[in-house]
Amino acid sequence: MICFEDVTRSYGHRVAVDKLNLTLGKGELLALLGHNGAGKTTSIKMLVGLLKPSAGRVRVGPYVVSENPRETSRLIGYVPDQPFLYEKLSGREFLEFVAELYGLSPNEVRNAVDRETERFQLGPFLNRLTESYSHGMRQRTVFAAALIHQPEVLVVDEPMVGLDPQSIRLVKDLLRAYADSGRTVLMSTHTLTIAEEICDRVAVMKSSQLVFSGPMAELRQLIPETDGHLESLYLALTKD
Amino acid sequence: MASADVPFRPEFLTHVERLPTHEREGRLFWKLRIRESRSHLKHLFTHSRMRTSLVISLSIFFWAGLFALFYMGFSFVVSNVGPPGATYHAQTVQFVFTLFFMSLQVMLVFSAGIILYGGLYASNETTLLLTLPVRDSRLVFYRFQEALFFSSWGFFLLASPMMIAYGLVVKAPWYYYAYLPGLMISFAYIPCAVGAIACLLLISRVPHLRRIIVGAIALVVVAIAYSSIWHTLDIDNADLLGTAWFKQTFRRFEFTRGEWLPSTWLSNGLLDSARRQTSDMGDLPWLQSGKYLVVLVSNALFLHVVLLWVGGLVYRDSYYGLNSREAREARAGMVWIDRFFEKLMFLLPRETQLLIIKDIRLFRRDPVQWSQFIIFFGLLMLYFANIDRFRQHRADLSIMTWVNIVSFLNLAVVGLILSTFTTRFIYPLISLEGRRFWILGRLPIERDTILWGKFLFAACGSWVPCAVLVLASDVLLDVSLVVIVIHQFISVLLCIGLSGMAVGLGAIMPDFREQSPSKIAAGFGGTLNLVLSAIYILLVVLMTALPCHFYLLTSDADLQSQLGQPQNLKLWVALGLAGVLLLAALVTIIPLRSGLKAFRNLEV
Repeated sequence: MICFEDVTRSYGHRVAVDKLNLTLGKGELLALLGHNGAGKTTSIKMLVGLLKPSAGRVRVGPYVVSENPRETSRLIGYVPDQPFLYEKLSGREFLEFVAELYGLSPNEVRNAVDRETERFQLGPFLNRLTESYSHGMRQRTVFAAALIHQPEVLVVDEPMVGLDPQSIRLVKDLLRAYADSGRTVLMSTHTLTIAEEICDRVAVMKSSQLVFSGPMAELRQLIPETDGHLESLYLALTKD
Repeated sequence: MASADVPFRPEFLTHVERLPTHEREGRLFWKLRIRESRSHLKHLFTHSRMRTSLVISLSIFFWAGLFALFYMGFSFVVSNVGPPGATYHAQTVQFVFTLFFMSLQVMLVFSAGIILYGGLYASNETTLLLTLPVRDSRLVFYRFQEALFFSSWGFFLLASPMMIAYGLVVKAPWYYYAYLPGLMISFAYIPCAVGAIACLLLISRVPHLRRIIVGAIALVVVAIAYSSIWHTLDIDNADLLGTAWFKQTFRRFEFTRGEWLPSTWLSNGLLDSARRQTSDMGDLPWLQSGKYLVVLVSNALFLHVVLLWVGGLVYRDSYYGLNSREAREARAGMVWIDRFFEKLMFLLPRETQLLIIKDIRLFRRDPVQWSQFIIFFGLLMLYFANIDRFRQHRADLSIMTWVNIVSFLNLAVVGLILSTFTTRFIYPLISLEGRRFWILGRLPIERDTILWGKFLFAACGSWVPCAVLVLASDVLLDVSLVVIVIHQFISVLLCIGLSGMAVGLGAIMPDFREQSPSKIAAGFGGTLNLVLSAIYILLVVLMTALPCHFYLLTSDADLQSQLGQPQNLKLWVALGLAGVLLLAALVTIIPLRSGLKAFRNLEV
């Protein structure tokens, strides 16, 4: 469903992502791991159409992202690390706007807003202007907007930052259930315990390159001398 | 383009086929605008009543003032140059219109381009919209609408009183007023669209040179404007406003009347629609002006289509290009400036020095702060450089009277600009410390020191440019030494008073939730600070300008009998200065004391 094919992205002379090859199938939940500056966010930005690869291509379903940004964005739901909300719209108005942009009919919009409101427990604040939302409320609203059109692919950049334990539980369950429903989930995170707990596969980037991609068991086999937890494995893998 | 090696799945096609049409997409964005505007207006009239009332009242006041000014100006033209239809009348008004609209046209090109750049390339909202299935041309148009609104409201505020005043003075027929909105809107659209297209092409072709190119073009425009003004005023007194001068000036500004310029179409359209039909049956002013309206509207529509086409074609790639540049490392350079200021503050306690140096560093590393300051003060210097004509008429008492009035008005202008600076940059300083308070609050320094540091930073930092500008104005106007000394004294009081007020009120009404200084300044406290600052400046200038004015007039023996003896007026000058000193002390001490008290008890 997602396919990075020999993807390179440079910023001037600095190579941020170097010949990335990564594939994600339907029903898979992959955690993209790596130090700050390893190339995770750049890879995600290329996937959601905010950056164009210097070389190679990124595909989502049948579409090449940089050539069909509008079509691919219909297939993707994106939760960025620093989300934007219209301060002078209520949560409901924001969700309706996003849903209508995805081409949902008025009836579908109503049903989708109700569904996501219930899923993310937005009810108590949905009709308030988003300028008054706390970080957790904002994050839940952004998740609801990303899922309003039930995308084939969900891309999440640092989903747990600033969330309370209840919201973390909610998001973890949601990501797992979404992948189990046959969709694809790509999550970039520094929270290794959560990645270990819910992901089918992990992909580790180091200095712009993908150094590992596979299930946890494979990683344990690759580095047998650790205690087997993702944290130890990750640190061993990314050690200079 | 769907790649061939992946089996195609119909459900994707269904999703994509159901994406909104152009028209529906347009309606969705209008709905978004209407909802946002409604919320904004509701907020303005429920939470920011004072600021909203102030802005509306000042706008009405400004509009009415401009209308009166233009009305008198056009009445002067009609009575002294000729009625509508006379050759000199048409030439004079055409000269004024084309010059005025040409200047605004250039400004509209720049402002629309710059605002669009911010909207398309440096906005979080755009980042969101780029990840949604929005057409690139729609996104460009959506952002362009904002650029059009924000760059042209000033044009409408300036041009509408002028146009209406002209229509009333020349008793224009009804179609003048009927054409007016169409002429103005279509005219404003053209330079804004040109600026937008230029912005897209510039970022698309030479993203790394964008600032240099815009800066170079702006410099050329300023140089042409300055040179034209300079040459117009740089002639012998005897020729000023004479026939030869008028012809020469008319010829010098011929470039503003080019037939291919929208400003010329607008001017001609207005002039034609304002005149009455002559006895010639073939002369139809409504038709002539209607043709100009059609030219303007068709060009605006053509540029609209070009903008959407260019936007769809280059926008996304230009966005990619701009965001793929290597990030420049922000180095903490120019440390010598900090050392220089550190040495200047050798008398202050070390803690205060450190706090002031920190504020200086934050200030000089934020171009948004000092660039606005430089633009304001640069414009003032340009104006001051052109007022030295008064010097040639020193012997004339009426001119000398004007010299004094203008010198005090200049002082007031410098003060008012300073007040916008203290409101925009000094008032939010305490609020901005909110997120950093965990470090400042735990340092082994008195909280009073923090506030005093900010006050000294503001007062000393504003005093130097303020004193230099006032001195430049005085020297160019060739005022007497007494006036120079008084002005410098008032400059010091203005800087101290305005800084005390901004720091004090900022500490009394901090807003720790907001991180944008402009939003903090636009709140209730900032507005109050601006209003109180303006009142303070007007009082200070009036209390010193009037006694000084009368005192200087008494140098003329004939006026002594009417105005009183110089000794008495000297006393008035002294009393005025003492009053100003007392007022400055009050506006500095009262807010600062309350601010210190509030800041000591502050819990973050």
